[in-house]
Amino acid sequence: MEDNTLNHQNGGQMGPQGGSMPSNKQIEEQNPKAQYSIPGILHFIQHEWARFELERSQWEVDRAELQARIAFLQGERKGQENLKNDLVRRIKMLEYALKQERGKFHKLKYGTDLQQGDMKPPVIDEGFDSQLDTDQSYVSVPNSTWKQGRQLLRQYLQEIGYTDRIIDVRSTRVRALLGLNNNNAEQEENLNGGGGGVNGNDSNKRASDTQGRRTPNKKTPGSLAEAMMLDTEASVMANLDFLSNADVDMDDDDDMSDEVDLEGADDIEDEVKVSSKHNKEKNDNNLGLGDDVDAIALEVFNELNRLSETEKKQDIKTEQGDWNKGLNDDENIDSSLGLGELAQLTVNNDAETTYDIASSKEAFRKTWNAKYTLRSHFDGVRALAFHPNEPVLITASEDHTLKLWNLQKTVPAKKSASLDVEPLYTFRCHAGPVLCLAISGSGEHCYSGGLDGAINCWNIPNSNIDPYDLFEPDILSSTLQGHSDAVWGLSVLNSRQHLLSCSADGSVKLWAPHSKVQFLNTFTSEQDGVPSSVDFTRDETNRVVASYASSHCVIFDTETAKPVMRLESGQETANVNAKQINKIVCHPTLPLTITAHEDRHIRFWDNNTGKMVHSMVAHLEAVTSLAVDPNGLYLLSGSHDCSIRLWHLDNKTCVQEITAHRKKFDESILDVAFHPTRPYIASAGADGLAKVFV
Amino acid sequence: MSKMKMADGSTILRRNRPGTKAKDFCRWPDELFEEMDSTLAVQQYIQQLIRKDPSNIDLILKMPESQDEGVWKYEHLRQFCMELNGLAVRLQGECHPETCTQMTATEQWIFLCAAHKTPKECPAIDYTRHTLDGAACLLNSNKYFPSRVSIKESSVAKLGSVCRRVYRIFSHAYFHHRSIFDEFENETCLCKRFTQFVTKYNLMSKDNLIVPILEEESTPGESEA
Repeated sequence: MEDNTLNHQNGGQMGPQGGSMPSNKQIEEQNPKAQYSIPGILHFIQHEWARFELERSQWEVDRAELQARIAFLQGERKGQENLKNDLVRRIKMLEYALKQERGKFHKLKYGTDLQQGDMKPPVIDEGFDSQLDTDQSYVSVPNSTWKQGRQLLRQYLQEIGYTDRIIDVRSTRVRALLGLNNNNAEQEENLNGGGGGVNGNDSNKRASDTQGRRTPNKKTPGSLAEAMMLDTEASVMANLDFLSNADVDMDDDDDMSDEVDLEGADDIEDEVKVSSKHNKEKNDNNLGLGDDVDAIALEVFNELNRLSETEKKQDIKTEQGDWNKGLNDDENIDSSLGLGELAQLTVNNDAETTYDIASSKEAFRKTWNAKYTLRSHFDGVRALAFHPNEPVLITASEDHTLKLWNLQKTVPAKKSASLDVEPLYTFRCHAGPVLCLAISGSGEHCYSGGLDGAINCWNIPNSNIDPYDLFEPDILSSTLQGHSDAVWGLSVLNSRQHLLSCSADGSVKLWAPHSKVQFLNTFTSEQDGVPSSVDFTRDETNRVVASYASSHCVIFDTETAKPVMRLESGQETANVNAKQINKIVCHPTLPLTITAHEDRHIRFWDNNTGKMVHSMVAHLEAVTSLAVDPNGLYLLSGSHDCSIRLWHLDNKTCVQEITAHRKKFDESILDVAFHPTRPYIASAGADGLAKVFV
Repeated sequence: MSKMKMADGSTILRRNRPGTKAKDFCRWPDELFEEMDSTLAVQQYIQQLIRKDPSNIDLILKMPESQDEGVWKYEHLRQFCMELNGLAVRLQGECHPETCTQMTATEQWIFLCAAHKTPKECPAIDYTRHTLDGAACLLNSNKYFPSRVSIKESSVAKLGSVCRRVYRIFSHAYFHHRSIFDEFENETCLCKRFTQFVTKYNLMSKDNLIVPILEEESTPGESEA
C-alpha cells in the first residue's frame, strides 16, 4: 500500500521514471530530496523554457500585429495614391473621349480634320505608366515562384494561427473604409484629403449638384473599392515582411489577397451597390437635364461597361448574377440604363488591368499611333498584307486594282502628323473588285482573289522600282481558274507553298500555285453552304479550317478532303445570318481558332475538342477582320464601328482602340494586319484608305 | 442605347459580307441621297445610280440640289478613273508596246506621257497605266484634295487636265482597239457618259473630243457598235 502511495506521489510530482522500480528503502531515503532530483530539475528547466518560449512567441505575435498595423497605414497611403492616379487617369480618358467625339462631330459637320494633330491618345498610357510605377514592387515576380512562396506562407501563417486574425482585421478594415465612403462624406473627405482629395470630395460633397458631375460620382465607388483591393494587397505584403525574417522568400501576396478577396468581395460589391443607389438619384437628375456632355459621357460609360463586361471572369459573373437577383426595382432600372453595373465592373476591370499591364508591359508597352496614310485607291480597300520582312505592303481594292507600297518612300505631308505614301506599282488584271489577298512567306509572290472568281498569282516587283516604269507582263505569273463565283478568302501555307481559297460558289479549294499541277483539292460542306473565310490550322499543317455564313466552322483534312471537326456555336438557330462569321484566323502556335462575327462577337475555339472556349462582345458593330501577331500574344480586330482594337490574347482584354476609317454605306473597316517581323500594324477601310500604325 | 441597337438590327445594312455572291454584290435597296449621312455620300449616290442603270446617263449626271458642284465633278471623275481600270485591263491583253509604240489616236497627235519629270513618248499601254496611276495619285493627293466634302477652287481647276489625259485612253482604244472599245462601251457606256460629263461641265474643249460618240447619241437609232 505504502509503495503504491509513494509511487503515486512520485509519479504525481515527477512523472513515472522510466522502467527501474526502486525498493521501499531507497524511496524513503530519497523522498525528502525528491524535489531536487536530476529529473526534477530537468523537468523544471524544461517547464521554464517552455514558458519563456511561449512568451517569446507571444511577443513575436504582438510584434507582427504592430507591423501589420504599420503596413495597413502604409497600404492605406498607397491606396490613396492609386486612387488619385486612377481618378486622374479616368478624367484624362474622359477628356480624350470627349475631344474625340468633338473632333468626330466637327469632322462630320465641316469635313475638316479638326485638331487631329493635337489629340494625343497616350493620355491613357500615361495613366497606365503611373500605375505601373506604384504597382511594380509586387508584380514583378514570375508566377511560378509566387505559387511556391504562397504555399510556404500559408503554412507559416497557419502554424502561428495568424491567418484568421489578419483576415478579421482586414475585413473590418475594409468595412470601415467602405462604411466611410458610403455614409459619411466628412470622413471620406479626410480619407481622401491626402492624395486624391479633389475628385473624391467633389463626388460626395456635391451630391446635390446636378451639373454633369456624374463622372466622378460613378467612378468613386469603383475606384475606392479598387483602392481597397490594392490596400489589401499592399498590407498583406507588408505583413509578410515579418515572415521574411524567418527565411521565407518574400515573393508572394496573392494567396492572402485571394482569401481576403473572397471575404472582401461581398462587402465591396454590397457597398458599391448601395452607393450606386445613392448616385442614381443624381443620375436621374442629370438625365433629365440631358445636356450634350452627359450624352457623351453616357456613351463612354456604355462602352466601358460593355468592354468590362467581356472581361469579367466567369465566377465573378455568377456571383454578380446572384446579386442582381436580389436587387430592387430601382436598381434594375438603373442597370437597364447600362450604368448600374458599371461600378462593380470597374472593380474587376481595374484589378485585372493593373495586373496584366504590369505583367505584359515589358513585352508590349507601346501605344500604336497612325503614321502612314495610304491614299490612292478610288474605292474601298478590301484587303491588305505585309511583306514578310521589308516595310512594304500590298492593298487590294474594290477599284479593281492592287497597289504596292513602300513605307520608306513617303511624300512629306502638309500636316506633319502622318506621312503620305505613294504607291509603287498598280496590279491590274481583275475584272471587278478585288476582295482578298495573301503574300507568300518568301515575299516573292502574292495572290489575289476577286469578285470575278479569278485568283491571280503575281510576282511582286522590286520594292524600289520607279512607279512609272515600263509595263512588264510577267508580273502576272498565272491565274487560277476554278471558282465560279466571287473569291472571298485566301490563305498561304509557307512550308509547302500551298494556297487556300474560298468562294461564294460554296467551295474551298487548295492550290499549289507554283507546281505543274496547280489544283489539289476541293472541300465542301453541304449543310453549311457558302464559306466566308479560310485558314490553315497552324499547329497541324495538314488541316484547314473554313468558316461559313451558317456561323459554324469546319476543319478539313487536306489529304482526304473530309471534315474532321465542326466548331459549332449551336444554341440559337433562329437567326444564324446575324451571327455570320466574317473572318477566321488560326493561332500561329496553339490549337486555337478565332472567329469574327457579324453579331459583334469574337469567339475562340479549341481545335482539338471543337468546343468554344471564349466568346466576347468585342465591338459596337459587326467584327469584320482579325489578325494575330506573329508571336501569338496579341489579336487585332477591325469592325464596321470604324475602330480597330488590339487585344491581349492571354486574358482577352482590350489594350488599345483606334478610330481609323470612315463609313461608306454601312461598311467601315474591311481588313487589319500585323507585319510579320516589324512593328507595324495596318487597317484597310471602305473609305478607300489604308493606314499603317507604328 | 441598346434599344437603338435593336432597331438598327432590323433596318437594312448595306454591306457586302464575305461570301456574298457576285450577282448580289452591292445589291441592296436604294438609299435616298438626303438620307446618306456619310462623308462619302456623293460617291455612294453616283455608284448607286450607275449600278441601277449605267445607260441612264442624264440621271447619273443630274446633280442633286444644294450639292457642291466641285465635289460633284470631283467624285464623278474619280468614278471615271476607277472604271477606266476595266478598259486598261482589257487593253493589257492586246495593246503591246511592240505594236502600239506611241500613244496615238488619229495620226494628228502623239501624246507625251506627263507622268515623268520630262514628258516622255511612252508606249500606249504604259501611257494608259501611267496616266491612270498619276490621276489616282493626284485625285487622292492630300495636298490638292484633302477633303471629299469640300474642294478648293484652285483644285477644281486641276480636274480639267486629268480629264484631257484620261480621255486619250478612250480615243486610243476607239481608233486602235475598236473591238475592245465597243465591248467595254456596251457594258458600261463609260465613254458616252464621260463625253457628256466633260461637255456639261465644260472641262474639255469640243475639238478634243475626237471619239464620235455624241453624234451617235444625237441619232439614237444607231447603236454605238
